[in-house]
Formats: sequence, C-alpha cells, structure tokens
Amino acid sequence: MTGALRAEWTKARSLPSTGWLVCVVALGMVALGLAVTGTLRVDECGDDPCVLDTVRLSLAGVNVAQVGAAVLGVLLVTGEYATGTIRPTLVSVPRRGEVLAAKVAVVGVLTAGGAALGVGGALLVARAVLPSRGFTAEAGYPDSTLLHDLTQRAAVGTVLYLVLVALLGVGIGLLVQDTGGAVTLMMAVLFLGPVLALFVSDPDWQAWLHRYAPTDAGLAVQATRDLAALHIAPWPGLGLVAGYAAAVVLAGGVVLCRRDA
Amino acid sequence: MEPSLEVRDVRKTYRGVVAVDGLSFTVRPGEVTGFVGPNGAGKSTTMRLLLGLDAPDHGEALVDGSRYGTLDRPLTRVGALLDADAVHPSRRARDHLLWMARSNGIADRRADEVLDQVGLAAVAHKRAGGFSLGMRQRLGIAAALLGDPPVLMFDEPTNGLDPDGIVWIRLLLRALASQGRVVLVSSHLMGELQDTADRLVVIGRGRLVAETAVPDLLASVSRDQVEVVTPQRSEAMTVLANAGATVTVQAADGIVVEGLPGSEIASLLGAAGVTFVELRRHRASLEEAYMELTRGAVEFATADEDAR
Repeated sequence: MTGALRAEWTKARSLPSTGWLVCVVALGMVALGLAVTGTLRVDECGDDPCVLDTVRLSLAGVNVAQVGAAVLGVLLVTGEYATGTIRPTLVSVPRRGEVLAAKVAVVGVLTAGGAALGVGGALLVARAVLPSRGFTAEAGYPDSTLLHDLTQRAAVGTVLYLVLVALLGVGIGLLVQDTGGAVTLMMAVLFLGPVLALFVSDPDWQAWLHRYAPTDAGLAVQATRDLAALHIAPWPGLGLVAGYAAAVVLAGGVVLCRRDA
Repeated sequence: MEPSLEVRDVRKTYRGVVAVDGLSFTVRPGEVTGFVGPNGAGKSTTMRLLLGLDAPDHGEALVDGSRYGTLDRPLTRVGALLDADAVHPSRRARDHLLWMARSNGIADRRADEVLDQVGLAAVAHKRAGGFSLGMRQRLGIAAALLGDPPVLMFDEPTNGLDPDGIVWIRLLLRALASQGRVVLVSSHLMGELQDTADRLVVIGRGRLVAETAVPDLLASVSRDQVEVVTPQRSEAMTVLANAGATVTVQAADGIVVEGLPGSEIASLLGAAGVTFVELRRHRASLEEAYMELTRGAVEFATADEDAR
C-alpha cells in the first residue's frame, strides 16, 4: 500500500496541471471571496435588522474552487486513460483496490491542502476588508474568527466539501474514463441543481432541489446565520454529499477492478 | 525457482471476437524467445493476459508459476514493454521511472541507472511529450529494466528505432538472455528475429502454429535444396528440370534446385557442358520458414472451416 501511495503522490506531483489546479482551489477561494466582501456595503443590505451571513459570503469562492477540485480529481484518473499510463500503473500495482485507495488519498490530501489555504486566506481577507465596508461589531458583525463555533464549522465544512467534490471527480473519472465527458458530467453534477432551482417555479420542487442537489446540500455547512431557513441541516447536508461521493467512488472502483485495462 | 512465462490453454474474446484461442506455450530462461505472428494474431493480447491487465475467459497465464496479480513487487519479477506511447507527455522522463520505482520499493537511483543504460541520461529531465517514437521506445525499455527482473517481455521493441537502435536492442536482448533471464520478444517481422532469437513461438489467429528452436525450423524448411550460381541459367534450368528436379529462379545468376542431391547436380551440369561458379546447400531465411509455417496454418484453418 505504501508503494501505491508513493507512486500516486509522485505521479500527481510530476504533472504541472496538479499544481495549477491546487492553485485554482486556493486562489479561487480568496479571489472570489475578496470580490464579494470587497463590494458589500452594510447600508445597502436592505433588511432591517440586516442579517447578511458575512462568513458565508466570505467563503463564496467555493463556487470557483470546486471547479478546480472537480477537475483535479477527474484529471488524475482520466489522464491515465488518455495517455495509456493506466497500463503501467496496473502493471506496477496489480491490486487495483490499492490503486484506487492511493488515488483517493492523494487527491484528498492535495485538495484539502489547497482548500485549507484558500479558506484561511478568504477569512483573513474578509476580516481585513469587512470592517471598512461598515460590518463592524457595533453594527452586529463581530470579526469572523475561527474561535467562533459556527465560523469554525463553515471553514472546516468548506474544506471537507471541496475534498468530497474532488473525490466525486475521481469516481466519475473512473466511470467515464474520457476527460471531456467526465468534466462535463462533473459540471452538470455541480451546477445543474442550483441552475434548475432558479428556473423551477414550483416551490416544492425548488425545495427538493435545494435539499438534494450536491452543491446546495453540501454548502449548507457554510451557514452561520438564519439556520432555520436552511433546506437541509449543515452536517447532514455535507453527509449527503459524502454519501454521493462514496457511492460514485465505490462504483468506479468496481468498474476498475472488473474491467480489462 | 526457475523464472518462466507460461500460457495454459488460454482463450480470450473481446465482444465476441476471438483474440486468443486455446493457446499454450512456455518460455524458458537463458534464451531469446521470439513471439511471432501476423498483425492481429493475438501477441499483444497474450502479453496483456500475462501481465494481468486483461483476464482470460478460460485457462491461465502464469509468471514464475503464479498469476501476475498475486506477485509482490511485480516489477522486480517481470519487466514489460507493452506500448511505448503509454507515457504522460507532460511528465519528465525521470519522473516516469521514479513513480514506477517507488510503487515497488525500488531505489530512486535505479531510474538514473536505466536511463543511462538505454542512452536517455541526457534527456532525463525533459518532458516525454517531446520525445521521438524511438526515444519513447527506449524509455519503455528503461521502465522494463527498472526492477532488474529475471523475466522480460517486449512487444515490438524495434518499432520506430533507427538502425543503430535496432542493433542496440539485439545486443541487449542477447545479453539479457545470456544472464539467464526469460526473454520474450514479439515481432510481426521474422527477419528481425533472424539473428536474435533462439526459439520461436509462432501464432496465427490466436492459435499456436509452432513452438520450435530456430535452427530446427530453418533445417526443416531448407531440406534437400541446393543453390546453383551459374552464368548459363536457362541452360542449367533445362538440364535439371529434364532430370526431374524442381527448379526456381532465385537471382539473376542463381537457381534453387529441389529433388536432386548436390553431387548429381554437379555431374549432370558437367555432362551437359554447363558451367557453374558455385554449388551449395540452400539455407532458408526465417522469413521463408515463417511463410511456409503460416501457409500451413491458413490451409489448416480453411480445411477446419470446410469440415463444419
């Protein structure tokens, strides 16, 4: 198993795309977070009292970061099929379950690393920017600090969510094999739910989409205010995404083990 | 235990198309075994089955008596060059070898050693995407040698190599065999194996056509044939044909005679006043031997189909 792990780690590190995609995860979190928090104004909030979830807004970069995570997971699998290196991989490590486990571990660690940097960076940026936009303690917005339970949950949850998205990418990569097909399917998985919810007028269907679509369910964990309005509770939402990821990775694993290479 | 490759009554179909059909053979150490057959005969399939990449529908493909999938650190038991293109174009040559080495607990320095051995040390840090087919072929051979395995398998290793490269790989194959290793090398060109292989496993349409030592095969095809070099070709042909021999033209001034011993040919030509420069036993090329063998196989296959 250590051999498989070292091989997958060396493989991932020796491809330029890996570094770029980890950067997309980290910088996507920070950059989109800055774009959102840097343009917020407390007096334009509308509602009174104003209940903007600034933590969640600070972490809005997850919408970009998840694309990087998804493509990272997909590419580390489909790249092997596209270039034919799947054969040397399986000749080097004929126990295919080990190959899958090692890929899951490496993709998980890489994504978690990029996501932790990105989430940390986005929260720091928000802390620096928000007070100047009027979100002060006096206005009801204490600094977002990781000492705060809900902020902590949002931060850790976002990292875990991105890891799960990357693992979904691994599973879909194994099932589809083709890079273009797998990336397209991955984007559909991430964005179809939220997009459909915009256009569906029936409130029951809308609620159902918000509850079960992976992006909406998984990102409930980012909420720190108005928790009663959530369609699914934070941890169960993330748990649901974990279930999706586990099912797809297992299906991919079964296909990997059964199929001729 | 002696290293070996063994295929036992293996059958493999892909979506109903039979690739390998009841194939059995054994490859022994200390010799270069040529694995030949026309394109699509099932050579690559057999190698994939031996490496556990594909699973046989029936029968067993064994390395050192075990299924490949059960081997520990398999790269130290078997080295294989299957497909020179199976390299990620964005990865540097050395990194390609490093991940394989690390997967089997092989020291990193082996990557540098084999790069040196195949003549790629100078491009070790270049990305494989910029390599010519010949260079990728060498990188694939380096990967096969990485674990210093007692069993080696090469699928069409001379593809894309220049003449220097072809000479190099012949010497390499001979050297590996003389070290007591099992060496199986496939080719669809018999001539390529003429001076390299000791034994041949010939397959056609997924079935075994022959498993034989190269000298025996050549002798069986060269039987009773005599080559005559003469400036008076047509006269010589007339004389010998009248004496009941089968005569075929081989070159501008040469004929091949079948059905008469050399001594009789000499006296017949002498009596008729036909001069000849040379008279020698005909040594068939491996190419001819192969044509003879596969012709038999095709005829057999046809008869087989007729019998249904």
